[in-house]
Amino acid sequence: MANLNIEADKANTYDAIVVGSGVSGGWAAKELTEKGLRVLMLERGQQLEHIAGYENALKAPWEMKYNGLLTVEQKQTHPKLARDYPYNEMTEKYWFKDVDSLYKETKRFDWYRPNIVGGKSIMWGRQCYRWSDLDFEANAKDGIAVDWPIRYKDLAPWYSHVEKFAGISGEALGLPQLPDSEFLPPMEMYFLEKEVRKRVEKNYPKRNLTIGRVANLSKAGEAQLNGGRGPCMFRNRCSYGCPYGGYFSTQSSTLPAAAKTGLLTLRPDSVVREIVYDKDRQRATGVQVRDSVTMQDREFHAKIVFVCASTISSTALLMNSVSERFPNGMGNDSGELGHNLMDHHFRAGASGSWEGDEDRYYYGRRANGIYVPRYRNVDDDKRDYLRGFGYQGGASRQNWQRNVAEMDFGANLKEELTKPGPWTMGLGGFGETLPYHDNKMSLDKGTLDKWDMPVVVFDAEFRDNEKKMREDMMNDAAEMLESSGLIGVKTFDKESYPGTAIHEMGTARMGRDPKTSVLNRNNQVHAVENVFVTDGASMTSASCVNPSLTFMALTARAADFAVTELKKQNL
Amino acid sequence: MNRRSAVERISLLLGGGALSPQLTAAVLGQVTNTGASVAVDAAQTALLAEVADVIIPTTDTPGAKAAGVEQFIIRVMRDCYVIAEQETFYAGLAKLEADSKAANDGKAFVELDEAGKQAALKKTTQSNKAFFKVLKQLTITGYFISEIGATQALAYLPIPGQFLGDLPMKEGQRAWAE
Repeated sequence: MANLNIEADKANTYDAIVVGSGVSGGWAAKELTEKGLRVLMLERGQQLEHIAGYENALKAPWEMKYNGLLTVEQKQTHPKLARDYPYNEMTEKYWFKDVDSLYKETKRFDWYRPNIVGGKSIMWGRQCYRWSDLDFEANAKDGIAVDWPIRYKDLAPWYSHVEKFAGISGEALGLPQLPDSEFLPPMEMYFLEKEVRKRVEKNYPKRNLTIGRVANLSKAGEAQLNGGRGPCMFRNRCSYGCPYGGYFSTQSSTLPAAAKTGLLTLRPDSVVREIVYDKDRQRATGVQVRDSVTMQDREFHAKIVFVCASTISSTALLMNSVSERFPNGMGNDSGELGHNLMDHHFRAGASGSWEGDEDRYYYGRRANGIYVPRYRNVDDDKRDYLRGFGYQGGASRQNWQRNVAEMDFGANLKEELTKPGPWTMGLGGFGETLPYHDNKMSLDKGTLDKWDMPVVVFDAEFRDNEKKMREDMMNDAAEMLESSGLIGVKTFDKESYPGTAIHEMGTARMGRDPKTSVLNRNNQVHAVENVFVTDGASMTSASCVNPSLTFMALTARAADFAVTELKKQNL
Repeated sequence: MNRRSAVERISLLLGGGALSPQLTAAVLGQVTNTGASVAVDAAQTALLAEVADVIIPTTDTPGAKAAGVEQFIIRVMRDCYVIAEQETFYAGLAKLEADSKAANDGKAFVELDEAGKQAALKKTTQSNKAFFKVLKQLTITGYFISEIGATQALAYLPIPGQFLGDLPMKEGQRAWAE
């Protein structure tokens, strides 16, 4: 029997374990396998095959049963997911049912949990922006939270590294607060966007309006074509999964690269319940896993563990990994684990319409908008709040959903609706949220989910700084649109709750001092050097730009460091 | 999962409050609204098809009836609206029929000529605005996402293959279907 156990042990032992298969986990698996490590990637969701698994990707609008409306049953089985648009009949299979994804809210928190290999990399918004030293220096300058242990120069080469592979379309502007990526050609703007750009940049010399920077292949480069990806077809069905590999996802990009090495083992349906700690060696030895289908438990071993389960789940895993050495969760000597929970606040801005130019139109469905980089609290601009916001938005010709003479019906109505409607344009701010110690998540160990994992409890809210910023988000947008000639401009604040932007960050922050942070400058848990957390959980502040590109760069950088240290036998 | 723990988990999910048996079943993923839907008969279906066809008639392209919009309306009403909303909607349809008969010597809506149908519907826009708005919304949506609506009344590109953001509009260009 002893021999058998040794054999079983070998089969369960890898060089590295990657927990999670989303944007960050995919990058960890790619980088580690390409550097020669045998990697086990564990994903709690079900398998989703590239192309074959995207059942709705090629469906026509008339194959939708409800045109995006949720059924009474869906609203009842998904009372939390049903709060917002990412959950609909076409993406239903990609998300956990609420009944399987229990969590508690001291204050409202919208938690979108994918249930598939690839995680949110399948349904993400694909906007990609580099952070800058305006972000990395912010905490130190403002004297809040803790300083980032890295600066832009530490990450810049890794941004380039991930961008060349992922493929980011965009326009170079040379702005210090929003550094340029390695760009594929920018997508074109609509007629009205071009008009508004000219006017905004003339009326506000310190503001720019550019096309969105997006992980869709405006042109497939060699790196992408070699990986089996083709250019974006401009169908605007991205969140259903793209059979052309037109945008970056784990399935289209990092997973095939990792699989090509022959060193990757992917195990879906694997709920990682705990990271196992050896107090004598002061190292993690592996992870304990419950098969979500058979409910059987197994242990896997490795020299290093990359925790890339997404912000909330990564921290929940550390919290659930208790031992004599770490009674309050692995790596939680500082007491900061679970604190400083952040998301972006959004859905405040303005929109208006444009008279004339109804002879200008377009071809294709551009899955991208325009972007106004941050200008508030930049250089000598000073506001009565900290940090700033960027705008996402765009123009369009109104479609058949427009409201024409409410009580009208008949041939005239039909004729009217078959023509493109007037031009409209809107701008919606995405604002930075401060890392408040009191915005936090914890585990309720008395309430277990289907896999006997303690449920997460959220206690976070947006505060005065965010509220003040939202005033500017509305008023600036209205001013820019009005001064550009739009009419009927109206501001909006559609409310924003933590989690809704699906840019969760923080809860296991990086820092210089183990007394006040969970991770060091290389995303290593301070006190457990062979455990790395490289997803949103590691963020020390939130910036105002979309974070996924930074998760990619941090992950690639940490993987490089980990392999270097392994070779030096330091891990 | 045993029933007791299931119910505990669900009350947690919904904030700990007391739950109706239907809601508990719903959260457990069981279909609940099959029994709680208004049954729609052939006459109502035919009436809906006719009314929808007055809202979006056949012109140089086929109208709502040809596109089968009544099936979309019935499906969305049944699955996406709660029973009370369904009842209000079908009561509105019944009132339209009753008003139409009263004004036309007992003639059913489907038997009226075009002008008669338009007059009856016009009356409904005044006497039952709330019903008309829902009816119109569902008809327009059902029509423009139907194959006929998307490919004939609008212009549909299954795979555009490229994006051109700023073009002069072609003569007779119909709006793009999404």
